[in-house]
Amino acid sequence: MPGDSTERVEADQAALSCAACGGHCIFSPLKGQLECTSCGTAHDVEPPEDADAAREFAYDPEASENDPPELTRERIYQCRNCGGAVLFVGAALSEHCPYCNGPVVLGTGDAGYRTKALIPFRADHGFARRQMRAWVGKRLAAPGSLPALLEDARLAGLYAPFWTFDSHEALRYWAKYTTGTGDKRRTHKTSGALQIAFDDLLMPASPHVTPLIRDGILHDFDPGSLRPFHAGYLAGFAAERHHQSVAQGLAANAPDKKLLIRNRIRHHINKSGVHDIRYQTDTTGIHYRRILLPVWIAHYSYDGKPMKVVVSGIDGRTFGERPFSKWKLAAYAAGLSAMAIALGLAWGAGGLL
Amino acid sequence: MFSPPGPLLATLALLVLSTAIGIRPVVKLIQVYEARHELRPGSAGRIRSLAGWAVIAFWLMATWFFATIIGDWHVTGDLAGAIDRSWLRLRILLEIAAALGDND
Repeated sequence: MPGDSTERVEADQAALSCAACGGHCIFSPLKGQLECTSCGTAHDVEPPEDADAAREFAYDPEASENDPPELTRERIYQCRNCGGAVLFVGAALSEHCPYCNGPVVLGTGDAGYRTKALIPFRADHGFARRQMRAWVGKRLAAPGSLPALLEDARLAGLYAPFWTFDSHEALRYWAKYTTGTGDKRRTHKTSGALQIAFDDLLMPASPHVTPLIRDGILHDFDPGSLRPFHAGYLAGFAAERHHQSVAQGLAANAPDKKLLIRNRIRHHINKSGVHDIRYQTDTTGIHYRRILLPVWIAHYSYDGKPMKVVVSGIDGRTFGERPFSKWKLAAYAAGLSAMAIALGLAWGAGGLL
Repeated sequence: MFSPPGPLLATLALLVLSTAIGIRPVVKLIQVYEARHELRPGSAGRIRSLAGWAVIAFWLMATWFFATIIGDWHVTGDLAGAIDRSWLRLRILLEIAAALGDND
């Protein structure tokens, strides 16, 4: 029963009230400041020292971590402006009061795994919407209804939890590659050693951002843009708490890392037809950060299948899940088939080879 | 001069079949195009999206190969001879396909 499992929590609301009129302040991506929704006064966000924001933490598998937050528990905060009850469900870290619409950001004491840093929103809602429209307009073989579907979809600003991981890999590998053609085709064995330093591998810790979408929207992650966590940056936006332990984050990152290692080995061998790659690695120097990154997300469904388009809140890069029109795909397939057939007919009719 | 309908019907059948089979390779082609233009170079997502591109080449090569037989048949009127003459072409295509598969 939800009533039995709710608890009262602390939130950082005083810092989100306008010093001039007492109104609600929300973070303005364009100004990089808190802006009062009543009188329009802009206030600087005053986080603690910036120097610590990009700090990385060494991973110690033996060390015990804080208890993970219980995401199934609902938490209630009493709004200090109107006294209304604000309900936090699941991983939500930032909400609006349903009665007075004031922004409420949970205090760091209730944040479970503490988020140390974030990159504030720089792309505002209007820019994100234009970027999304442009992205949709460039989709090949998309259904005709897709632009209208996304136009109707709510574009929500969210601070999504991410990991950054560093590590050093000392690798020993074994692989095969092929040379020659026909009767001269041969398979060769090869082996070697390789050192790889991974720096700031980004891993989403939220179901809202898949690894594929991450690679579409976050091309140039700059740790220098990280700012210390402050409720002011979250005001007016949704935010998700970190709820994975470091071991869980590393496990989620493992498939990506494996793929990147195999790709590096392929390049190191520098031959065509490399296959059957095996390797052993000694991983040292694992460092991590728990950070929040800003994204605009539009959820929609096509043929009953849920999909999403995500716009980076940093620079507006856009990527997402998209449906295909079967008729348009068939038209493309028919066009390419016709070209291949025309070429083949001419080739055969000309008596070539 | 009357041209026998065999090659014409075979061409139409090949077009229909290749179009039906080609829908999946076209999806892959679009995904590869989007990955090359939109995903971060060297990223895991891009490597995953580009993997399997050889299916596009296999589809077009197979369509081209059958069309060469039909073209030969149309000119000579000899289907069995056209098939016989295509064996060397097929062997070269299979070599190319093997090389593409190894590098996919």
